[in-house]
Amino acid sequence: MKLKSFLIVLVLPIAFGGNFYEAVPDPANSSVALVKKIVKDVTYKQAGESDWEVAKTGLPLKDGEEVKTGFKSLALILFTDGAGLMRVRENSILHIYGQKEGKKLNKNTFIQKGLIGFDVNKQEDEEFKFTTPTVVASIRGTEGFIEVADDSTTTISLLSGKVEFSSIVGEKESGEVAEGNTATIDSKGKIIVSASTEEDKNKSAQTRTFKTKKIKIKTNVGDVEIEYYSNQN
Amino acid sequence: MTELFLFNRRSITKIFLMMIFSCVGLIAQVSNYISNVQVSDAKENRAITISAELFAVENISEITLAYKSFGTAEFKKRDMIITGAVSSGTIPGESVLPPYLEYYLIIRLKDGSSQTFPLGVDQGIVPLQISVAGSSLKDKEIFILSPFEGESLSEDEMLISISFIKAPDYIDIHKTKIYLNEEDVSFSALVTVDLIVLSGENLPKTFATETRRLRVEVFDKEGNLYHSIQRTFNVVTAQLAKMIESSWKYNGYLKGESRGENFNKASTWYNNFSAELNSSYHDWKLNGYAYLTSEEKNDLQPYNRYSFSLQGGDWFGLKIGDSYPRFPSLIMDGKRIRGFSGFLNLGAVNLQTSFGETERKIEGKLLEKFLASQVPLSSDIIAINKTKYGFPFGRVDFGTYSRKIFTVRPSFGRGENFQFGLTYQHSKDDTKSIEFGALPQENIVFGSDLMLALDNQNFMFTSQIAFSLLNKDIATGNLTDAQIDSLFGPNSTFDLDPADVKRVRDLIGKFITVNQYLGPWNPQEFASLAGEAALTLNYLNNNFRVSYIYRGSEYNSFGQTFLRTDVKGINIVDRIRMFDNKLFLSVGYEQLEDNLQKTKIAVTTFQTISGSVSFFPRMDFPNITIGFNRFKNNNGLKLSDQKNGKFTIDDVTNRILLQMSYDFTAGIKHNASISYTNSIREDNGFANSDASFSSGSFNVSSSWNNQLISIFGLVYSSSEIKNIPFNYFSLSLGGRYRLLENKLQLSASFNPSFGDFKRQSFELIADYNLFSNVNLSFQTRVFRIPGSATNSIVGLSTRLSI
Repeated sequence: MKLKSFLIVLVLPIAFGGNFYEAVPDPANSSVALVKKIVKDVTYKQAGESDWEVAKTGLPLKDGEEVKTGFKSLALILFTDGAGLMRVRENSILHIYGQKEGKKLNKNTFIQKGLIGFDVNKQEDEEFKFTTPTVVASIRGTEGFIEVADDSTTTISLLSGKVEFSSIVGEKESGEVAEGNTATIDSKGKIIVSASTEEDKNKSAQTRTFKTKKIKIKTNVGDVEIEYYSNQN
Repeated sequence: MTELFLFNRRSITKIFLMMIFSCVGLIAQVSNYISNVQVSDAKENRAITISAELFAVENISEITLAYKSFGTAEFKKRDMIITGAVSSGTIPGESVLPPYLEYYLIIRLKDGSSQTFPLGVDQGIVPLQISVAGSSLKDKEIFILSPFEGESLSEDEMLISISFIKAPDYIDIHKTKIYLNEEDVSFSALVTVDLIVLSGENLPKTFATETRRLRVEVFDKEGNLYHSIQRTFNVVTAQLAKMIESSWKYNGYLKGESRGENFNKASTWYNNFSAELNSSYHDWKLNGYAYLTSEEKNDLQPYNRYSFSLQGGDWFGLKIGDSYPRFPSLIMDGKRIRGFSGFLNLGAVNLQTSFGETERKIEGKLLEKFLASQVPLSSDIIAINKTKYGFPFGRVDFGTYSRKIFTVRPSFGRGENFQFGLTYQHSKDDTKSIEFGALPQENIVFGSDLMLALDNQNFMFTSQIAFSLLNKDIATGNLTDAQIDSLFGPNSTFDLDPADVKRVRDLIGKFITVNQYLGPWNPQEFASLAGEAALTLNYLNNNFRVSYIYRGSEYNSFGQTFLRTDVKGINIVDRIRMFDNKLFLSVGYEQLEDNLQKTKIAVTTFQTISGSVSFFPRMDFPNITIGFNRFKNNNGLKLSDQKNGKFTIDDVTNRILLQMSYDFTAGIKHNASISYTNSIREDNGFANSDASFSSGSFNVSSSWNNQLISIFGLVYSSSEIKNIPFNYFSLSLGGRYRLLENKLQLSASFNPSFGDFKRQSFELIADYNLFSNVNLSFQTRVFRIPGSATNSIVGLSTRLSI
């Protein structure tokens, strides 16, 4: 690997005179993610701010910004480097972080609470990490969901791919979960990995689809239409 | 049939490139049966669809697509599907490699003859080329985040977003142009540092709910076009979008077509109906397809097609009806079967299987009856049922036996880094399926395959090997004990213990009929063995591949009837990407030889040397490809050899190729392409078939506004085979115009040709969007041969989308 890097760095520029010296845009202004779809109540918070603002479709998300979904609400988030998407289900809070190194975008998401479905492409020398109050997980080409319960217990369930994770509490154990399996890491850092149950599979399926319903309320000043997503698919 | 074009036979063989007008891969050439061919975008490792528009379909039996990648001499072949007046086939993605690939079509006619498209490939005419764009780094630098390819969403939910997060610094994001169905909507976009966002609410509401084509043009800081990317998606009603988001999804269409052909004063009407329904629930997908045509006849192989399939993710699949299963390519690859095929992928252990009919029974005809004393000596005279027909012998037109084929392949490993597979295939003609037939056959193939990959598949080794047995006549069944006793023994024809022979018969007879027609007779010479191995290395901007093939002269697989046999040798190809994928240098060397089992007088060596340079500049400059091929065939015999001189093969063909394409703006937008091909064959062998030809073409398509596109093309061709010259010039004029708020699209083209080949053709297509989900299409084509016939096709089709 070192030899390969050496050859690439040293030999190719000499041989082909390629353009290897490119200025990098200010990483602070780079968008890490983008809101592709919103259902009902979705808000976001800029880094360092305390107020939540209403999010709209097409909203770019920068390093340190947070997304929050309300009751029966949903947000679909795309990463700007094409790494994949996340489905933020109802009553969830997701923090987005991104570090740009050259043309690479190393991503980290902190799931404060709630249920997040993810579909992440295979990364090329780039990091994609999920962090929860109890776990750090590194992801490559994976589909599944992560759920953080109110007591910070984290559940990682995979439909495909593989995830390596480490507990950041208790004895800080490490583990691995493969497709068709589910790992549970409780608030004390205890890890249990087992085959996904029907409930896990149903939850995976639910995170991948979102059926919305609309109600129309007639008022004196006109009709108000409220769209919300249904858990029943 | 031969009256269509008033050429003598020699002239016809020399006709090749007629006209090319293409910004969308539309190729028109001289052919009695194909008016033009459309080729989908050719990008590295992506399958290419080739569809040919046909006329005189009544005379066509089947069409085969032959193609080969750069640096190889052997054409791979696949069946094409004929539906109505269109025949389509696919070149699999693994064969689509830069800098270009070559292809031609083989048209088999119902009278037993065949011809190629372009005409004369079998006599040395150059096949068609498709430039293959390498997977550009630009695709990874600038890409469309939203919408997804083929996504269906409502107008309110529509979000267009382009990411520049990996774009180089010399790109000016603010200069980016965004077109929706060729309408510039850039002014509505929100531009950030490295992202462009355009939401549905900011878009003009002038678009109907329909399929939309998104095109994004990216420019550098000097205003030069850097990259162009496209995506197709659908804008549907909010209700439909909601349904699509739900667990249950479905779509489909119904299509009816009525078409009349006037061909050499004979009129034929065709009526076709097709329907397709797709449905999905979570990972489960359901598909039903049917194509019914008035061309279906009992005395022909099927023209109707129908299938029903169920697929669960990538782990389970079952298809009933017509399918084209793919097993290791030496055994079965793209052959149509009518039956079922399926797979079960569990990861560590997988199973793939198929069973069905490749040929359906077609009864032969009894033409003439004979008494035993009057039977003439002829291969088409067979014994017939005397009680039924009153005579013991008859002259017959042989029919076709029903042929069934069964294939099974268990495999081990997921296929990402390792997979080992074992394949067994059995195929047999049903001797009872028809009364008047000859030489029913049976075939079995055993094979194994291995794939080993390391370092994210940058290092990959693949191999496959297969062994076949073929019985060329199973009409008499297995050898009887009495036959074995009479043929084998110490004082008989073969000095083998009859008991041993019976044991072997009983053992092998479980798989295939054992009689005197079972072969090969020389298995120890690997006559029916086929194998190939390849090592691919993808490092330091080199894609290097070295492979070895061996195919014995008696290797036969009824699932892969297009394989070239009696050949072995090596192939080396290296594709080098330089200057950030702007320059591609490709070199190839192949050396093959035949006569593996000494069945010919001499060994012929087939040597191919290939080189190509492709330049894909990022700035305002044409894309250029220059290629060179040298084909040398020699079997070492001398013409002066009185005994074997007439078998001498000694020819060399040198071919050069130049292709340029250029997108530029001169008042309006243009796409121009120029190509030139020159090929000279010097034949010092017995055939003495010297040949030379050169051809040049120029094509330009111009977008005058969102409604009008015009096409102009010129072709000049000059060839000489065995000192007979043949020169012609052709012109192409055409255009496409949209009106009535884009609901009506008119396309027309006029193509006259002059010189040694004279023809005028005219085509008009009108497509009207009657309702949001109903389209009417009218098509007419007229071909006039001065001093001869005027042929025409008129068709009307209706399509209802569900």
